[in-house]
Amino acid sequence: MASDIMVFVEYKDGNIRKVSLELLTKGQELAKKDGATLYAVIIGFQIQEVAESARAYADKTIIVDNESLNEYRYDTYVSVLEQLVKKYQPSFIFSGSTVTGKDLFPRLAARLNVSIVSDAVGIDFSDNRLKVKKPLYGGKVISWLSFKEGVSPLITFRPNSFSVEKLSLSGEIVEEKIDIFKDQKFNVLSVNKGGIEKVDLQEADFIICGGRGMKGPENFQVLEEIANIMGGRVGASRAVVDSKWREYDDQVGKSGKTVSPKLYIGCGVSGALHHTMGMDTSKIIVAVNKDPNAPIFNYADYGIVDDLFNVLPLLKQELAKSKQDI
Amino acid sequence: MNIIVFIKQVADTEARIIIKNDQKSLEIENKYNMNFFDEFAMEAAIKTKEKFKDSKITACTYGPKRSIEALRTAIAMGADQAFLIDNTNLESDDSLIVAKILSAFARKEGFDLILCGRQAIDDENANVGVMVAEMLGIPHASSVTAFEVVDSRMVRADNEIEGGIESIEVQLPALFTTQKGVNTPRVPLITGVMKAMKAVIPTIDPTTLGLSNEDIDLNSSGIETISLEPPQQRPPVKMIDGETTEDKVRNLVKALKEEAKVL
Repeated sequence: MASDIMVFVEYKDGNIRKVSLELLTKGQELAKKDGATLYAVIIGFQIQEVAESARAYADKTIIVDNESLNEYRYDTYVSVLEQLVKKYQPSFIFSGSTVTGKDLFPRLAARLNVSIVSDAVGIDFSDNRLKVKKPLYGGKVISWLSFKEGVSPLITFRPNSFSVEKLSLSGEIVEEKIDIFKDQKFNVLSVNKGGIEKVDLQEADFIICGGRGMKGPENFQVLEEIANIMGGRVGASRAVVDSKWREYDDQVGKSGKTVSPKLYIGCGVSGALHHTMGMDTSKIIVAVNKDPNAPIFNYADYGIVDDLFNVLPLLKQELAKSKQDI
Repeated sequence: MNIIVFIKQVADTEARIIIKNDQKSLEIENKYNMNFFDEFAMEAAIKTKEKFKDSKITACTYGPKRSIEALRTAIAMGADQAFLIDNTNLESDDSLIVAKILSAFARKEGFDLILCGRQAIDDENANVGVMVAEMLGIPHASSVTAFEVVDSRMVRADNEIEGGIESIEVQLPALFTTQKGVNTPRVPLITGVMKAMKAVIPTIDPTTLGLSNEDIDLNSSGIETISLEPPQQRPPVKMIDGETTEDKVRNLVKALKEEAKVL
């Protein structure tokens, strides 16, 4: 039996978010193996442009376009998705394990009375069975989970779990008109999206993270410059956030965000367990620390023992050069 | 005001964890704490009680017998009473089942406000709180960074949204999940610890909460664990040498480019 897959697509400024492109790429690969249909679901207001980009990946792009869906709210979005899932009956429903995904999918799972697995990092389809890879205990244990026959689970995936490929299907776009339920007991008073647009920490391919060894907030400027050159993000350890040198939004680790960029560089980060638990799924880890016994070297692929205030300006230069070479 | 705080006892981040030979179960060193994010939920409850003096704080967990220690921590912080829903013989960690049990407890106990941590740091699901809200048919806000009960009918809170924060007003009864930043959890006073040591914590059999066996028995989970594995070990670190810092940095960038192929 074909196992249709539905992907909840997130977007920003008319562009599909990277994590959703990862899921569409992976979803299409799985669906194709099985002769199944990949549905992309786009919810919002004036989303034609997003739908056009989704067509390249999905067999069917379902859009629900309504002014009342302009901003994400769990109540309206759950009511829409509930009806779409009931109508199309996909076998698997994917979302990114993003701020929205983590808010929306548990509520949807409870509404539909189905199982949910959150924060998965891999998937494998073999012997007619879908297997999902999920870290437990901050990555100390990796579990492989499967689902009983007849169960159509919701699964959220950590950003940077899959690669994005450029596909060029031209699936159809179906617009669904749906009754939208809005809970009057929940009112948004104001929205503050901050000043500077930053790359989402969990979606960043490159993270340069500062620890206590950075000595003070003013020294993070060079990390910002390096992150800019690399199109990535600055992260921070818990000690740095607790000292108010950086915002909580930057915190990598157990009590902050779990990240898996392609390249993580830790500068003056000692490598306490609660930090490494939040970053040890990164593809390549570099540690710069003047203490050769810092625990972070146990988690790193490459290490430099030196004064980071000498290393960082040079690193900025060399990375800028390497960018120009391409 | 009736406040329920759902907490979980979790393995300490430093606890040694060994995968047993069956590759389906774990041996965990006996080091457990109240889940990090639940401490913020407890603190929010206590702050609410300080403002509305006639409030009652009920801490509750679904877990094995040892979880009673986390409930004692809750009482030491300021909970008025605590209940352990004993999961012996029903050790499912399926969020759907846990949420059904907790919402059945809430329905039975009665509530105006439910608080719990953003996620448990062991399974990192961040599911159960939000699912309980849906099952009880009440609004929720997840990952709140500011929280205040305005009056007996209304909460004002800030919660994390994509790329920012939104300020909301939610009518009670409602559920909120807490995260770091919302408050500073108090360290229990010695009088609280004494009270907690003496407290009688009733144990509840989950099958008495009015749920059908199909909802909660061991076979009702739709999820199966196929195997548990240790994480892939990283090869030992390569220390980048060089006579000068310049050399080291140049060698590093070269390795990232040619060997690791991430540049």
